[in-house]
Amino acid sequence: MDGLIIGLDLCDSYTRICCHDREKSWSVPTVVCRKKEEADSWYVGEEAYAYTLAGEGIIVDKLLKLTAKEGTATLGGTKYEALELLKIFLKKILEIPKKEYFREDVRQLVITLQKMDAKLLDGLMYCADYLNIPRDRVHIVSHTESFVYYVLNQKKEIWNNQVAAFDLSEDGLFYHELKVQRGLKKMTVIAEEEALEESFNLDVLDNASGMKLADKIMCSCGERLLDRKLFSTIFLTGKGFERQDWAGNFMKLICPRRKVFVEQELFARGAAFRGGDLLQERSASSFVCICSGRLHSTISMKVLYKERESQLVVAAAGDSWYESKSTVDLILDGQDYVEFIVTPMDPKQRKVVRIPLEGFPDRPDRTTRVGLNVGFLDEKTMAVVLRDKGFGELFPSSGTVVRREVRI
Amino acid sequence: MSVILCRQEPVKHPFYFEDLGVHLYSSQELCYVIYNNPLLVMNDFVDDHLIQFIREELDQVFFSQKLENWKKSDEDPDELLFMILKECDYYTAVEINRFRQQVAAYRKLTPPQFAKAKGDYLFTKGQYGRAAEEYERLLEKPREKGMDDRFVAGLYHNLGSAYACLFLGEKACHAYEKSLNLVKDDRVLKKICYLTSWNPSMPVGDRTRSLITEEMKEQCVKDVKEAENRAENAPKVLQLGEIFCREPDKRLEKAGELVRRWKQEYRGMI
Repeated sequence: MDGLIIGLDLCDSYTRICCHDREKSWSVPTVVCRKKEEADSWYVGEEAYAYTLAGEGIIVDKLLKLTAKEGTATLGGTKYEALELLKIFLKKILEIPKKEYFREDVRQLVITLQKMDAKLLDGLMYCADYLNIPRDRVHIVSHTESFVYYVLNQKKEIWNNQVAAFDLSEDGLFYHELKVQRGLKKMTVIAEEEALEESFNLDVLDNASGMKLADKIMCSCGERLLDRKLFSTIFLTGKGFERQDWAGNFMKLICPRRKVFVEQELFARGAAFRGGDLLQERSASSFVCICSGRLHSTISMKVLYKERESQLVVAAAGDSWYESKSTVDLILDGQDYVEFIVTPMDPKQRKVVRIPLEGFPDRPDRTTRVGLNVGFLDEKTMAVVLRDKGFGELFPSSGTVVRREVRI
Repeated sequence: MSVILCRQEPVKHPFYFEDLGVHLYSSQELCYVIYNNPLLVMNDFVDDHLIQFIREELDQVFFSQKLENWKKSDEDPDELLFMILKECDYYTAVEINRFRQQVAAYRKLTPPQFAKAKGDYLFTKGQYGRAAEEYERLLEKPREKGMDDRFVAGLYHNLGSAYACLFLGEKACHAYEKSLNLVKDDRVLKKICYLTSWNPSMPVGDRTRSLITEEMKEQCVKDVKEAENRAENAPKVLQLGEIFCREPDKRLEKAGELVRRWKQEYRGMI
């Protein structure tokens, strides 16, 4: 197999990198530093801290937040856009596995994020262009999705009941939970996440009273979240769980009757598994995944085909909302609207969304061709563009365009 | 009420349908033209050029081969049209059946009746030049069975109307006179009267001129006046007035657009 399949867990505090089918992994603080006197000398991670502490460099952190808000940073009198700094950071960290394995080609790059922000996703795609990685090889998934892929690539006994993960880092405290529904055709994995309000600063773990308080907080979270559910496994991840001496009571709470693992590379490994999965047409772990970053509903339309009514699936539940885009041409027969059927996992909650074609000219039946473009702004918002394409020279296009954002 | 899913047809070189003066960019447009213009597609419409369009532009290799084979066999050529309608999935089986019946009814017409019907259809479509050609072609031929004076007079009348719509007054007047010579009809005489009232120097034969009474002339002048008044308030004229009320830059742009459209329309008529 040529080229690397890289899983990249990109957070504001730390970035973890690993490769599919490779043992080694790296953890790098998500910071970038430029030497004061040399505009072209850039450093990332610990090296960046070292130059900054030595007074030779200027450091920028929180790169993801900065990119999401399209911010800038001034280093040595030069203003840099956040995207530019992110490009430099990604270039530098991708060199690590490339150098280690003597490979230049990236076969798949799966980036996993805590929060799927559309601007950040666009920014990361631009970075991929800059790094000469074709867009079809770059995928961005949520932490929850990485968690799902990590778990489903383990032995079945790990996930035969529910599985949970606590992620404690400088970025916050997050809880992920998944359950597998076995269907006749395909398994469906439903995963959810929750950003816990009880999040605390990791500095409190440096003193006895702080450790006690942190343990108490975690116990209360554990009791609330794990109550009355049957778990096979619980994962602990993030810098907060690098040591567990502070969490005695919490460990006592979670360990009985189930397996508990501390896995710092949980998300990065999960992303790498996803990368491997993408390369296989019918992979062993082939399942429908419903989680953050994925659509929770199937969007379809009723269309006529060979005089029979059939369903055209515009986007399926489990598709990545960012990657899900559809373009079709339709011809209207006796109607001046377009209707979508939104079917969530619970089919009883099915709803119909009708978009009237306002401003479209009146024409005889079947002489209006409508160009339909569907994309998603996030997992709950569908963006629809309907364009009057006319009917060739027989009924020229009026150029009318209807744009709608639909909550699904 | 329904929605039809269009197949992907990345047509780069559209098919030009000369009789209507339009380019066709999809299988749906092709079906629409066939279905709505049976008189224009019943004779040699499905030729090598169209089959090539279906094969190369609509990317229907197997189907084009099927058409070619059918064409080579001495089977009913009308079937080619039905095959296209069926294959493209744009019209229902009921509609295709209706079209089949319509074609069968036209096939029952004699060749002159069919040619006249085609000319009349082109006239209703605003294809005055092509309609005139159709009538002239028929009139040049020796009279066939069923082409009595009334039929030929009707042809000359329609030819005159086609010329009149192309602003070819003299030719129109000449055709109307020929119609009148075959069958005396006051409606035709009145049309000649209109033409002479618009253009008094119109060369009209003495015999015809003698048939136009003073009363008819007065009525024609009155009718023309009324028509002019109606024309002043026609939506297209009002639209023109609106354009000239705009700022100079926009006025020129819009006027240019309108003139371009008129030219296009007129070229389409010829």
